[in-house]
Amino acid sequence: MFNFAFNSLYEALYMNGHGLYVWSVVILVFTSLLGFFIGYTKKIKKIKDKLNEPN
Amino acid sequence: MIKKFIHQFASPKTYLHQVSRFYKYIFYLSIATYILSLVWGLFFTPEDFIQGNSYRIIYLHVPASFLSQSLYIAMAISSITYLIWRVKLAAYLIIAIAPIGAMTTFIALISGSIWGIPTWGTWWQWDARITSTLILFIMYLGLISLHNSFSNYERADKLLSWLVIVGAVNIPIIKKSVDWWSTLHQSASITLTDKPTIDPVMLYPLIGSIIGFFGLIICLVLLSSKYQILHREKNKSWVKDYV
Repeated sequence: MFNFAFNSLYEALYMNGHGLYVWSVVILVFTSLLGFFIGYTKKIKKIKDKLNEPN
Repeated sequence: MIKKFIHQFASPKTYLHQVSRFYKYIFYLSIATYILSLVWGLFFTPEDFIQGNSYRIIYLHVPASFLSQSLYIAMAISSITYLIWRVKLAAYLIIAIAPIGAMTTFIALISGSIWGIPTWGTWWQWDARITSTLILFIMYLGLISLHNSFSNYERADKLLSWLVIVGAVNIPIIKKSVDWWSTLHQSASITLTDKPTIDPVMLYPLIGSIIGFFGLIICLVLLSSKYQILHREKNKSWVKDYV
C-alpha cells in the first residue's frame, strides 16, 4: 500500500506527461488556501488594531 | 426551550471564546491530515489503468467539490436558524461562509477543467454537473455582492437568508445531475448506501484528503466568522474587552 509509485523524483514530477495538470491543480489549491488564510488573518489584525486605538 | 438553548450557546461572545480555544488544534490536525493524505495519494498510489497519472487530481478536486456543496448546505441551515430563531450568529455565519464557498467552487471548477483536458480531451463541456456547479459559483458571488450592496445589515441578512434557502434547490440538482442526465461525469464512486466502487488503495488517501480539507475549510470559516463578529459588534463593550 505504501510503495513509491515512481522510479525517480523526475518521474514523480513528470507523471508520464500528466505532471503539468496535477501540479498546476496543487498550486491552485495551496495558493487559494494560503491567500484566504493570510487575507482573513490580516483583516482580523486590522480590525483589532482599529479597536485598540485610543479615541 | 430550544430558543433559550440556541441563544445561550450561540451568542457571538461565547462563540468567539470557543473559536479561540479550539482553532489551533483543528488547524494543526487538519493540515497534517491533508498533507499526509496528498503525499500518499500523489506518490504512493498506483497509476490508474485508464486515466494514467492524471487521476491523481481526484485528491484535490473531490474535496473541493464536496465542500462547495456542503458549505452551501451550512449556509441554508444558518439561514433557517436565523429566520426562525433570529440568532445573530447564524446571520454572521451566512456571510462568513459565502466567500469560502465561492473559493471551493472555483477550485472545483478549475481543477475539473484541468482534469478534463487529458481525460476528456476538452476543458469545458456544458453538461449538467459542470453547468450546475457554475451556477453555484455565480450564486455565491451574487450573494456576496448583494450583501455588500446593503448599508442596513439587518435587511441584508433577511434577504440573503431567503435567497440562500431558495437557491438550495441547486444542491440536489448538482448531486443527482449525473444520474438524471447523460453527462461526461461518472456516477458517484462513494455513497452512503453502497459499497465504494473505487479501490481501497486509492480510497483511503481520498477519504484522508477530504477530512483534511474539510478541517482547513472549518478553520477558514472560523476566521471569517471571527472577522464578521468583530466587524458587526465593534461598538459593543464586550468586543473592546475581548481585543
